[in-house]
Amino acid sequence: MSGAHDRHQSMIDQQRMTITELQTPVIQVWKGILALPIVGSLDTARAQEMNEALLEKIVQTESDIVILDITGVPVVDTAVAKHLLETVSAARLLGAEVLIVGLSTRTALTLVQLGLDLSHVTTRTTMARGLELAFDRLGLEVVPKRAAAASEWAGSA
Amino acid sequence: MGRLGVSRVPIVRVEDTLIATVLEDLSDRDALLLQEDLGRLIERTGAAGVLLDLTVVEIVDSFLGRLITDITAASRLLGAETIVVGIQPAVAVTLVELGLEFKGVRTALTPEKGRRLLRQSIAESRTGKYRRG
Amino acid sequence: MEVVGEESIVAARQRAREMVRSLGFGMLDQSRIATAVSELTRNIVRYATDGRGEVVIRDISSDDRGIGIEIVVSDSGPGIEDISLAMRDGFTSGPGLGLGLPGTRRLVDEMEINSALGRGTVVTIRKWRR
Repeated sequence: MSGAHDRHQSMIDQQRMTITELQTPVIQVWKGILALPIVGSLDTARAQEMNEALLEKIVQTESDIVILDITGVPVVDTAVAKHLLETVSAARLLGAEVLIVGLSTRTALTLVQLGLDLSHVTTRTTMARGLELAFDRLGLEVVPKRAAAASEWAGSA
Repeated sequence: MGRLGVSRVPIVRVEDTLIATVLEDLSDRDALLLQEDLGRLIERTGAAGVLLDLTVVEIVDSFLGRLITDITAASRLLGAETIVVGIQPAVAVTLVELGLEFKGVRTALTPEKGRRLLRQSIAESRTGKYRRG
Repeated sequence: MEVVGEESIVAARQRAREMVRSLGFGMLDQSRIATAVSELTRNIVRYATDGRGEVVIRDISSDDRGIGIEIVVSDSGPGIEDISLAMRDGFTSGPGLGLGLPGTRRLVDEMEINSALGRGTVVTIRKWRR
């Protein structure tokens, strides 16, 4: 009787873990760069799970930069802002730099009005801009192929 | 190169960097001894960098947290840059929840990354690369 | 376990951590509880009479609330004059100031403080596994 219950419970735990992983997917977009798109509201429980998943991934991949995409977060109030700042702080303790992208004008104003210390937070409006900054921080450049081909041509002439 | 210092934290010197590796749960007293050791050794060796390795540390409370901030500040006054490495995820979250600021404390994920950062930092300060104003 | 002097701080937090781990709490909660116990035990060593007190760690798991742990840290020291003041968030402003109670509060699910001047202090903390 208890065997069936245990199996049932562990199945529930497994599903819960899967759901958590799906809700807070941490993606390695490049060597050393992680992206974390947040979709939906961010309560304390979710924020803690997100933190945990992110920090583990930083350790696993030895990443230097984390891009937090909040485009999909509808409301950024004091509570959400505090959670985000906690994520930034924790990731920094692991030596990673955190960029927040997807900031709307409204969110920017809210954050400023809340008077929180944002000095350690770097932001960009879009993921693309965030990536550009991340590459720059890592000393990398994205170069069009045509230029490479042209220089080969010039070399052989 | 052997082991320097009197606290239970082994400190070794590699070129101009002192590497202190915390291997156990430090009592308040041992933590203070570590702080003394580092101060004395920086003075004696003229070290330009300190690497504080917490890779194996699973509990960092407010006392040790503040001590780390103090060590960083004191070392800086003595001319050495400190980098704390290996803070575990659970420790990071706890420190953040405790509200410890760790202002001005530089960190790196691994000793290797930390040493690279220190080398850069030391090289920059030597060539006077920093600008004022 | 009895708190006698500074060595007890490490002993208490290690003991708490083992208990929390054996109950199945994750790494984050292990760190939180161990740190909370460390803070509270240090208060005894610093402020209680003779630096003596007691730490009792208890499994309070139940069917309705799940797996839980309760830690009671008590001493017969001078007591806290103003508990609400001690709980105010000025904790990070410097070494030796305050009892670290607001920070500790954030690490646990429940915290109760019973204290009276001249009558000692009892701090009870509880955490449940989510």
